[in-house]
Amino acid sequence: MIIENNVSLARGDSRLLKSIRRYMSGTKGVIGLSLLLIFVVLALFAPLIAPFSPDEMTDDILKSPSAAHLFGTDHLGRDIFSRVVFGTRISLSVGFVAAGLSALIGIFVGSFSGYYGGFTDSIVSRIIDTFLMIPSFFLILIIVSIFGSNIIYIMLVIGLTTWPANARLMRAEALSLRERTFIMVARSTGESRLRILFGHVIPNGVYPVIANSALQMGGAILTEAALSFLGLGDPNLSSWGKLIYQARPYMTFAPWTIVIPGIFVVMAVLAFSFIGDGLQYTLNPKNVKGD
Amino acid sequence: MALITMKDLDINYKLKSRTVRAVRGFTLSIDEGDIVGIIGESGSGKSTLAHGLMRILPENGYMEASEIVLNGRDISRISDAEFRELRWVEVSIVFQKAMSALSPVHKIFDQMYDTILSHKPATRKEDAEKLLTKLFSVVNLPAKALSMYPHELSGGMMQRIMISLGLVFNPKLVILDEVTTALDVITQGQLLDEIKRLVREFRLTAIMITHDIGTVNELCNKVAIMYAGELLEYGEVEDVIFNPFNPYTKALVKSHPDLNPHGMGLRGIPGTLPDLSNPPEACVFYERCPYRKDICAKEKPKLIDYAGRKVKCLRVGELS
Amino acid sequence: MSTEMLKVKNLVKYFPVRKIGKKQYVKAVDDLTFSIKTGEIFGVLGESGCGKTTLGRVINRLEMEQSGEIQFLGQSISGREYKEDKYFRRKMQMIFQNPYDSFDPRYMIYKSMDLPMKINMVGIDQKRRLEKILETMNHAKLTPAESLLTRYPHELSGGQLQRISILRSMLLNPRFVVADECVSMLDVSVRADVLNLLLQVHKELDSSMLFITHDISVATYICDTIMVLYAGKIMEIGSSNDILNSPLHPYSKALVSYSPTIRKGEKERFRITGEVVTPIDPPPGCRFASRCPVAKEKCTVEEPKLRTIDNNRQVACHFV
Repeated sequence: MIIENNVSLARGDSRLLKSIRRYMSGTKGVIGLSLLLIFVVLALFAPLIAPFSPDEMTDDILKSPSAAHLFGTDHLGRDIFSRVVFGTRISLSVGFVAAGLSALIGIFVGSFSGYYGGFTDSIVSRIIDTFLMIPSFFLILIIVSIFGSNIIYIMLVIGLTTWPANARLMRAEALSLRERTFIMVARSTGESRLRILFGHVIPNGVYPVIANSALQMGGAILTEAALSFLGLGDPNLSSWGKLIYQARPYMTFAPWTIVIPGIFVVMAVLAFSFIGDGLQYTLNPKNVKGD
Repeated sequence: MALITMKDLDINYKLKSRTVRAVRGFTLSIDEGDIVGIIGESGSGKSTLAHGLMRILPENGYMEASEIVLNGRDISRISDAEFRELRWVEVSIVFQKAMSALSPVHKIFDQMYDTILSHKPATRKEDAEKLLTKLFSVVNLPAKALSMYPHELSGGMMQRIMISLGLVFNPKLVILDEVTTALDVITQGQLLDEIKRLVREFRLTAIMITHDIGTVNELCNKVAIMYAGELLEYGEVEDVIFNPFNPYTKALVKSHPDLNPHGMGLRGIPGTLPDLSNPPEACVFYERCPYRKDICAKEKPKLIDYAGRKVKCLRVGELS
Repeated sequence: MSTEMLKVKNLVKYFPVRKIGKKQYVKAVDDLTFSIKTGEIFGVLGESGCGKTTLGRVINRLEMEQSGEIQFLGQSISGREYKEDKYFRRKMQMIFQNPYDSFDPRYMIYKSMDLPMKINMVGIDQKRRLEKILETMNHAKLTPAESLLTRYPHELSGGQLQRISILRSMLLNPRFVVADECVSMLDVSVRADVLNLLLQVHKELDSSMLFITHDISVATYICDTIMVLYAGKIMEIGSSNDILNSPLHPYSKALVSYSPTIRKGEKERFRITGEVVTPIDPPPGCRFASRCPVAKEKCTVEEPKLRTIDNNRQVACHFV
């Protein structure tokens, strides 16, 4: 932040830098982030990294991993390595979009509800409780089987059914922040409620949601894989789950067709889980004080 | 006659990157029957000192002294197991915030009986009950408080319970760590009266740790002034408070509203505490002292006897 | 010019208490009537639960009253929430008890000071606002100002933060400041600086102040008039000198006699018993009757009205 009139820039490390350093000092967080980075690279540069086109069928059917095909081939002769690399794009998109949507809705609903309180809050709390009672996967299953399995729908549905967990976290933070002195100062100096919400409550209370979102990204990837495995995934796209689904008849004698995509799913979920832990570690209030 | 004598007491805390020297070279002798106030602001080391004496410092804290003589016996080098024998029996401590010292899910009697058992395991329940009932009547608590839970009692009552717990084995020395700080004014005053009476009746010697000069004036006959881990002045209350010699003591008194006319004359102390992981070699108050001279930055003042009290200041002769 | 800046009439604020079965109310502020003149520092003195903090919040419109009238600068401000009335907001400001929590931990001090000015359109543009901030800080000797402005709250001490809080309010040029226990959490020597700044600002702004505290030493030092509250009711109002040296109401007498001070000599205790009462569905009659040493039957039946005794002295007691 620059202050004009010869006043110097912020001295010492900014809080962001301190937080980044803190995050990097935790093993799990670093591992998770590294894994995620690998996946992101795979997704972004898929055409350059994959040796084959993911849909290119060859005559080398169900060949085990070799020099030519790093992860072997499937029942249609397609290179599995290329297929998982391109599949990364789908899985990461689902993860980011679904969890992002869930976070956005959760933050707004939770912060408004918690800060304004009163009647709105009671209604919203009941809604949150109801959603949290229903096992979300079955809800998603039902909705997808009724409305279709377009990947966009899947992302939206996951986002629209998982936001209550974030809302609850945000609401709890809003409730406690409401009583803080600096919020009373803000009210006392004439800040409007909306400004207080966006300027103070959300920025100070969003941390648990961020950490939870990392976990939700892994969860979304897993959900999409599960849907695909059940045959409800997008028929036009080959996500990791789809690969697993397609490999079922061949898994006993060509295990690589199912194990490889499976490992990718596991690694992705693990990566996000570690990132979530790393974020929890960083955002631990004891260390936001800056020592 | 001296009940407890401490010489060159040091308490350090080991942190990841540095060692904080919370108490340095503390030397003091307390006579039997005295109520000694230890006044200090944050960072003075007063509570640390008390915790050190009771051997309840945290894991990373350690204490050293050339001697700590209690009742004629040097307890500075005895083992923890040996100290446990005399903790609570010869010297006890009462903390502030009684609320957090007691478990909310156990009745008062059970908790106190527990403490009694940990020192005298053969005590029978009936005997403990008799003892505690008698103790409660002494501190003006109803006997039925024994069968109540902490949340049913007021702050003042809780603090009395903590005091009675400290007195249960009739120790010679009681340390009171900010015991009135979190209480309402009138309750505070009532408790101070109680403590005065208890000291008389039980023939106790008490150390009252506080940041409030008014409390010391009302309760104590002697006072020790601590700053940034060092003892700067010690003597009779009327002397030290109403005619302070050490510049920090002077400044402390000058910053109290009572001794200044309405709306004028109140003075703070400019500057901040020194870094205790790297305390000054010479006078600890040098940076903030209005009377400082060059010599104060070079030579370390010693605690000397002067005009009936102990003072630590190189310029004490000229300033008093 | 001695006009009335604030006039409070029959102010009532209740809080519902959730209990299974019937609804109960804490009568935090129960029918208060008083007024504050321009330029006056008006102290509200009482122990915990007396309603002083609630009073401050209601006057500053952070809470809505149940009933009663508040007139500020001749205009009625009661009966509706002043959520976004910018004119009013600038005129009345509040300093809170906890300086460490008075700032958004994610904002640099500069931002915390600039934002209220920006919202209330004080200063034409950012450049001028910054100039004003720097000028104010230098004038209050909070230097080096540039360095402090680029810090975050956790990097500063309680005393610095509280003084910056005062300056933040002052930049809005208020006519009325509510100071709620603003030195209670600070070290003794640090309080002096804050109190001095408060007095300095008060003089320069030609404003009035509502000074809430439980500490009689601080109250008598800084306040012109003191109002003593107990369990939501006014016990006595008088000049700070009168309240300290010749209190009339039994509760005031008790409060003065039990407050630890450093005036010389032994104080005579005005003894009372019992604990502070929380006004949940209080019994009829005087709130203080249950603890009052001179209470008679009348006191438990009829509530004493606040009567004017002399000039400026008002007492709510049947026997004064």
